Amino acid sequence: MLGYLSYFILIPMVYIAFATLIFGLIYKFYIIWKAPAPAGTGAIFPKKGSKVSGLIYDAMLVPMAYTKQKGFWFIIMFFHIAFFFLFLGHLELIADFKFIQIIPHRIFLGGGLVGIILMLATLYFLFRRFGTPYREISIPEDFVILLVLFFCILFGSILHLAERYSDWGAVLRVDANVYRNWLQSLIWFKPQLSYTITELSHFTILVLHVLFANIFLMMFPFSKMIHSVFTFLAHYRKRN
Amino acid sequence: MEREKVLELKQVIGKKLNRPMLYYLDLCTRCGLCYDTCHVYQGIPKKEYSPVGRAEVVRRVFRKYFKPAGKFFPWWGDAHEFDENLMEELREAAFSCTGCRRCTMFCPFGIDMPYILGIAKELLIAYGNAPEELVMLADSAVEKGKSIDMFKEGFRGVIKDLEQEVQKLIGASSSDGLIPMDKKGANILFVGLSGAHSIIYPAAIFNAAKEDWTLSYFEAVNFGYFAGDSEKSNFIANRIINEAKALGVKEIVIVECGTAYRIPKFLMGPLPFKVSSIVEVIYRYIKEGRIKIKQGIVSEPVTWHDPCQLGRNGGIYEQPREILQIMANDYREMNPNCEYNWCCGGGGGLVALDNEEFRIKSGKPKKEQIEKSGATMVVTACENCHLQLSTISQGYNMGVKVESLTKLVGENLII
Repeated sequence: MLGYLSYFILIPMVYIAFATLIFGLIYKFYIIWKAPAPAGTGAIFPKKGSKVSGLIYDAMLVPMAYTKQKGFWFIIMFFHIAFFFLFLGHLELIADFKFIQIIPHRIFLGGGLVGIILMLATLYFLFRRFGTPYREISIPEDFVILLVLFFCILFGSILHLAERYSDWGAVLRVDANVYRNWLQSLIWFKPQLSYTITELSHFTILVLHVLFANIFLMMFPFSKMIHSVFTFLAHYRKRN
Repeated sequence: MEREKVLELKQVIGKKLNRPMLYYLDLCTRCGLCYDTCHVYQGIPKKEYSPVGRAEVVRRVFRKYFKPAGKFFPWWGDAHEFDENLMEELREAAFSCTGCRRCTMFCPFGIDMPYILGIAKELLIAYGNAPEELVMLADSAVEKGKSIDMFKEGFRGVIKDLEQEVQKLIGASSSDGLIPMDKKGANILFVGLSGAHSIIYPAAIFNAAKEDWTLSYFEAVNFGYFAGDSEKSNFIANRIINEAKALGVKEIVIVECGTAYRIPKFLMGPLPFKVSSIVEVIYRYIKEGRIKIKQGIVSEPVTWHDPCQLGRNGGIYEQPREILQIMANDYREMNPNCEYNWCCGGGGGLVALDNEEFRIKSGKPKKEQIEKSGATMVVTACENCHLQLSTISQGYNMGVKVESLTKLVGENLII
């Protein structure tokens, strides 16, 4: 039973998650594109910088968060930059990318620090919600997303840190090619789960990591995570 | 609530779901950075008066009726169906917001919270729970628009009397034609308010500048917009737009009224004429040397209050300051100012409602700002702000004088 469940999580559910993410995003944009555009603008003055540079500045550097709560801003920035590094790290699990290897490194830049930063930031976001006034405005979705993200990063970090630093590294050490074979088989729609994966000593951790990642990806278009793309639309209107 | 009513209210939400509304409703992370950016929350620190708290009331019904998760797992997004309590919460949210958009400026995602409250206002109208005062005033403006010919003769009579006041201000030999009306091809169509002061001082300035202008039959204020009735709001705005088109004017100039300026300038799409605030026009006349004003005539410490719809939402910051600094000996800035300025608490039609105690409380940050500046006179260029600042001054026994910029200029013209 557990074998079937693991297989489902590592193969069909990954497809379901990515399909949900991609078609979900397309659907969300389609709904917005189809909706009527208002006649006027939503400008706020002064409009500092050009439309494009200002938009990037507002959406990526969130200057108003810096103005309001500097400490919070630093955590947001660390969190999002770490997320970007995590994305690059996962790209390297699929194939070699020369542009990522400008600084030669073992797979996953940062030697585990990226995951730790993300975990700490996620925990901060989570516990921040238990304090006033954030508790009053939080809804279950806010807590669930943070928990899903936290567990996803936790299991991912265990995989990475154990492999890199454990005394039992000889047992746990995994060649990136093991993951590459599995991930590339998914990309080319010839999915296979070889014994090199299923026999890993930390296979259960891998399954849990992928399970939470799948859930996160499926929730992405239909939850507040959509802020990462819609913020550009909102800031554009503010500068239009 | 009856099923038919729920369906009707659902349709009301559906009609409001345009592009920005859809992404505004979706992208809030409830980070709470907007929480204390509202002047009302500063005065009355309750979640219901925080920007996110207000927007969440709308989001709760939106999720309930427009999101599958809201239908099947309402607990997930705190989705809530329509009921008496929710309608009351919507009313509290919608009519405690002045639409100043200070929260929008501070939102890291750029969410326009007052825009979301447009849904709440439209729902209240459909439910019959919108403030009666605003609805009646909007209806009366619509009625005037439909049968303007009935009002014209009486209005001309009133204007005749006002011309004599203008004559006194500028020392003209005759009062005839000092407030022109129905003048085709004029450069400017000026749109005033119902109060005489809103016409007399601009008229004096236009005459001093030898402007080719004409007065609108309509008042600039848009109670349809304040009530949140899109249909009436458009009708009221279009009365002026159509009048300007029929007269073939090059520019419409809006009296000291922030929302009346913002609607044609930014919310009605492209228009075949320029839209300016009277503040911009006064500034232009001074720069072009068409009018001269007495220098240093205001001796007491004076400060400028940025009306949100002219400043943050209109981009008019420097012009009034420069004008005021000519007339003032001791000009002081409030802190924060310009885009960060605290709303006085009178916008969004709130001054027209029976809520003085609430407005005095919500005017607390403005009161503190004025006190810190040390000014004994506050000048502004918005009728709502003027009324609210006076209420704050009286409510807190501040003894601060509130003046209109146009009036100050009109009274201190060098002819």
